Amino acid sequence: MQCIVVTPERTVRDEPAEFVAVTLFDGEMGIAPGHTPLLGRLGFGEMRISQDDRTDHYYIEGGFVEVLDDVVTVLTHRAIPAGQIDVEVAEEHLRSALAKEARTPELMAVRDRAIAQSRAQIRVAERAQ
Amino acid sequence: MAKARALDRRRKSIRSIRKITRTMELISRARFKKAMDRAIAASAYTKRMTKLVGDLVRSGLPVSHPLLLPREETNRAILLVLTANRGLCGGYNGSIMRLATARYRELRESVAELKLEVSGKRGISALKFRGVKIDERYTHFEDKPAFEEVNLLADRYLDEFTTGRLDRLDIAYTKFISSSRQQAVVETLLPLAGLEGFEEDEEGKEHIGETPYEFLPSAASILDEVVPASFKVKLFKCFLDAAVSEQIARMVSMKAATENADEMIGMLSTAYNRARQGQITGELLEIIGGAEALNE
Repeated sequence: MQCIVVTPERTVRDEPAEFVAVTLFDGEMGIAPGHTPLLGRLGFGEMRISQDDRTDHYYIEGGFVEVLDDVVTVLTHRAIPAGQIDVEVAEEHLRSALAKEARTPELMAVRDRAIAQSRAQIRVAERAQ
Repeated sequence: MAKARALDRRRKSIRSIRKITRTMELISRARFKKAMDRAIAASAYTKRMTKLVGDLVRSGLPVSHPLLLPREETNRAILLVLTANRGLCGGYNGSIMRLATARYRELRESVAELKLEVSGKRGISALKFRGVKIDERYTHFEDKPAFEEVNLLADRYLDEFTTGRLDRLDIAYTKFISSSRQQAVVETLLPLAGLEGFEEDEEGKEHIGETPYEFLPSAASILDEVVPASFKVKLFKCFLDAAVSEQIARMVSMKAATENADEMIGMLSTAYNRARQGQITGELLEIIGGAEALNE
């Protein structure tokens, strides 16, 4: 099974993989070889790619996952290796997101998204340690 | 010897200018290569995105999204202008400013609340000189615009657009068509004119339902995400195009400057040699004349 991870800036990874786990909008999903064609909406969270007893952890931020003909394509805004996440910056973001005002449903959605992003970053970073 | 020496001094100063322009040409050539590589790396995402939209459309989904709908009334607009931080790149900044100021005037008449956002020191100082008020300035987009930085801008525009604080977003930048052709353009990014991969699917209609995708959570929800993502990519591409075009413009103009310096050095050398020769002849004549006078 081939696993391709693409961000708007570059192709992060284009390698074979034995197992891929991605965070969808509502929870985690594992993809093993031979998966049915799928288009899924990604959330903020962890992506694990396993190959030859080695597992790489990434933080991914939104986007899509497509499975077709045994190729997993992950289109995401950001794909940061879990070890490179700056927890302090993420915590700072979380604080400023919590302080945002949310008087209308739209503003609330904006705020919730910012909170979810920072929380997911912190979670992924902590799990990788 | 006065005239010849002056010519020689000028020739020397032009030589050192030539050295500078030549170096700048080489630097911008290297930067252009890097910027180009980045643009090519970024196109992978665009391509896959286009394919994804095509797949979505093929699954028989009607494409509609708030970002795609034109507003009935345009009361608040933003004009974003992408210029360079540095000059010495020929008509690059000038042609953007010309287009941007024309659009600015046009929008100011039709739109009640118009904000002007400028990236690049050149554009900022040009507008300051004309006495135009700038609402936001950015100088941190250099020759390698990062998606994260552009994403911040994009998120703000999207937030403002969805909450109704923005009705229209125009962007003036230099479009990269090919390495020998770049063009300053003004485009309307919000509301989005259409999705790439959506239009070209007329002949793909017969393939509807060919790949039985499983949609998580649903095709409509994926579309909700695809539209903002494709806006972000579009905006990012504008920044990348501008960066590549700037380096090309600088490369071309510095090449021309180097060639002009070469030509000038040649002309000055001829003039210098002629003046030197003239002086020597004059001095010889004086000596001969003096000797003749002594003989008599």
